[in-house]
Amino acid sequence: MDASLQRFISALRMAEVRISPAETLDAFRTVDRMGMENRQQLKESLALVLPKTAEEKLAFDACFDAFFRFEEFSDAPPGASDGERGDGDPSGEGEGSEGQGGGGDGPPQGQGSEPRKSDEASGDPAGDGPPGDEGTDPFGDPGPGPVQDAQSALGQQLQQGDRAALALAVSQAGEAVNVAGIKVFTQKGLYTRRIMDALGQGALQEEIGTLATQADATARRTAAQLSGLRDDLRERVRDFVERQFLLHADADGHRLREAMLRHVKLSNVEHRNFSHLKRLVEKMAKRLIAAHSRRRKKMRRGQLHVSRTLRKNLRYDGELIDLAWKARKIDRSKVFAICDVSGSVATYARFMLMFLYSLEAVLPRVRAFAFSSDLGEVTENFQRMAIDDAIATTLADFSGGSTDYGQAFDDFLRVAGSAVNSQSTVIILGDARNNYGNPNTKALREIYDKAQRVIWLNPEPERSWGSGDSEMPRYRASCHQVNVCNALNHLERVISDLLLAVR
Amino acid sequence: MSTAPTPFGSVAEVQAGLESANYICSTQIATAVYLALALDKPILVEGPPGVGKTELAKTTAALLDHPLIRLQCYEGLDEAKALYEWKYAKQLLYIQVLKEQLGDVLAGAKGLQASLERLHEFGDVFFSEDFLEPRPLLKSLQEEAGAVLLIDEIDKADQEFESMLLELLSDFQVSIPELGTIRAKGPRPLVFLTSNNTREVSDALKRRCLHLYIPFPEAPLERAIVHARVPEIPPALERELVAFIQALREKDLKKVPAISETIDWARTLLLLNAEQLDSQLVQDTLNVILKFQDDIDALTPELPSLLAAARKSA
Repeated sequence: MDASLQRFISALRMAEVRISPAETLDAFRTVDRMGMENRQQLKESLALVLPKTAEEKLAFDACFDAFFRFEEFSDAPPGASDGERGDGDPSGEGEGSEGQGGGGDGPPQGQGSEPRKSDEASGDPAGDGPPGDEGTDPFGDPGPGPVQDAQSALGQQLQQGDRAALALAVSQAGEAVNVAGIKVFTQKGLYTRRIMDALGQGALQEEIGTLATQADATARRTAAQLSGLRDDLRERVRDFVERQFLLHADADGHRLREAMLRHVKLSNVEHRNFSHLKRLVEKMAKRLIAAHSRRRKKMRRGQLHVSRTLRKNLRYDGELIDLAWKARKIDRSKVFAICDVSGSVATYARFMLMFLYSLEAVLPRVRAFAFSSDLGEVTENFQRMAIDDAIATTLADFSGGSTDYGQAFDDFLRVAGSAVNSQSTVIILGDARNNYGNPNTKALREIYDKAQRVIWLNPEPERSWGSGDSEMPRYRASCHQVNVCNALNHLERVISDLLLAVR
Repeated sequence: MSTAPTPFGSVAEVQAGLESANYICSTQIATAVYLALALDKPILVEGPPGVGKTELAKTTAALLDHPLIRLQCYEGLDEAKALYEWKYAKQLLYIQVLKEQLGDVLAGAKGLQASLERLHEFGDVFFSEDFLEPRPLLKSLQEEAGAVLLIDEIDKADQEFESMLLELLSDFQVSIPELGTIRAKGPRPLVFLTSNNTREVSDALKRRCLHLYIPFPEAPLERAIVHARVPEIPPALERELVAFIQALREKDLKKVPAISETIDWARTLLLLNAEQLDSQLVQDTLNVILKFQDDIDALTPELPSLLAAARKSA
């Protein structure tokens, strides 16, 4: 059990349930205490110990059901009929209608059925294909009748039809070939074949081949029956691999994609990935919120709060024992985001705005401005509409028109200049390509003097700053901080810094 | 592996025990109580308001026959109110007494050094347990026969307070700088923490607890609860009432009625001698289950159809 609980926990981790080693230990103690016999009870107990939020509970439920389902392998195998119908459909080439043999009347080979690595393990070069067919086809249907006992180990096991033992064998074979290591869906066929090989498919294959070429009808019937059983088994193994893939790899692929999306340049992200990006931004924002939502109380030590001290110490007969100090809550600063939404920079603006407004819980006072030539405030869009719609509206209203930073700064000062003060942070997002117009550094300087911080985020790589019509070197002098920012992880870092600084 | 002796042999026993104390619950809840006792772990109970989180702690305390020590959390709660405080007034008195007695104590001691040594012989009475005022958390450790500690609405307290709790929850001890570490005297108290999820409780705290989420109950369970709490209610009314409440929970309301409201409503209807729900009656008593005028206004036009549906499914 220990090993499978361990695997279950790693599957849970894949499903984004956060489980610490301490909780793993708790899970072991719980299982120790509650036992494994009652599945529902096991589920309810583990649900108390492992998942710790409502979302995690949902993930846990799904994961538990998927993970422990395999134990119930026995019911109705895909495409096969139910056991004892020894001679059903005479035309059947085996497809299960020949029945599952004696339905458990033989002694279960159970524990003895260690995954057999047959000598001829590589007997099936084609992998998934039904390679037995060429053996059975030329001789046609042998018709119903008695069958003889199989010689190969796997064949015997299939004929006995002890499903529990088979399930165990499959899962052991899965372990032997490390099926939990599956990473991408194209590996499904590979793992299916490896498990079949580990189960001893080679020997069975050979036997079917030999039997099918014999003239004896019983032998050919046996061959047909065995190949039918083998196909069933392959179906089941494929199912098994599929489930393992969903448990162990799907989330991995997901994570891989997320890691990729974090680093890729935002302008290169394909449109169909926008929804992933959006989720990613939400996730990153949630983490930042968690890290920063502590309300800071800053003590101004050294300033006695006289009246409170007196009140507090009245109960001690006026002796001053317990002193009270003046405390004040830090006022959150305002953030002004000025975004260039002209052509090339629009994508970046989209994600920065998305990020900023996802942080509402910890950054409640963001005012957003957009410009390409004329600048306007778009804060209201974000208050009224969902983020997506707000961004779309903003882009529709302001993009187009040739970029004019000088004009934009003037407009900003006119619209919001009086609101910028020593507690304000101004973030400017743009490539600083001014079409050789008047850069109007004076206006930026004025913003710089008024604000606590001016941060310029430029999506272009640093070496192209100053080339062509880029005014970055001149603007740089009037900024507290200048960053290259063209991927989500840049954005996250900048905003995380911002949160540290402004709060 | 710790297998502390528990008063209960199985989950079913816990469930039956709670049931006998008129607390009808799912096996999930009973499992939580059972495991908490078996593994010596606190339980963090989350769920919408009014599903019986606090009641669970109370009932468990009654069932175990332990005193219930309750700490209601609020913003600004600090260790002086939750853990311990020094009895300043008593300390002051002690100083005064000491002043008066000083002459006698130091009689015969020659020189400053000798006087100081004489004083040291008295030990550090000033910061001793005699001057310590235990608050709920410390009190729960001092109960020799065990206790049930209820830390109610932990999400209302500050994050600092949560961090302070960590030591108590993982090791059942508290550190007082002047005295050292104080451990539980008797068996470890059973700790319930409740949260309404107004803010996310920190991971560190969650890691130390079993996490129990109590959702609104399904109809059969809710009927059982109403039946246990208001046994006099006619069965037909009981069914209609629960069906109606269940339907209300599907609606877009500011605050959907919880179990406590269901029970209040059942009592109200009983007082009014109602035999079954009718439009006028529901209209008149709607303020028992809905606590916002907006909700009542929004629902009033829909009442007849809701009632009909409830009667049908009952």
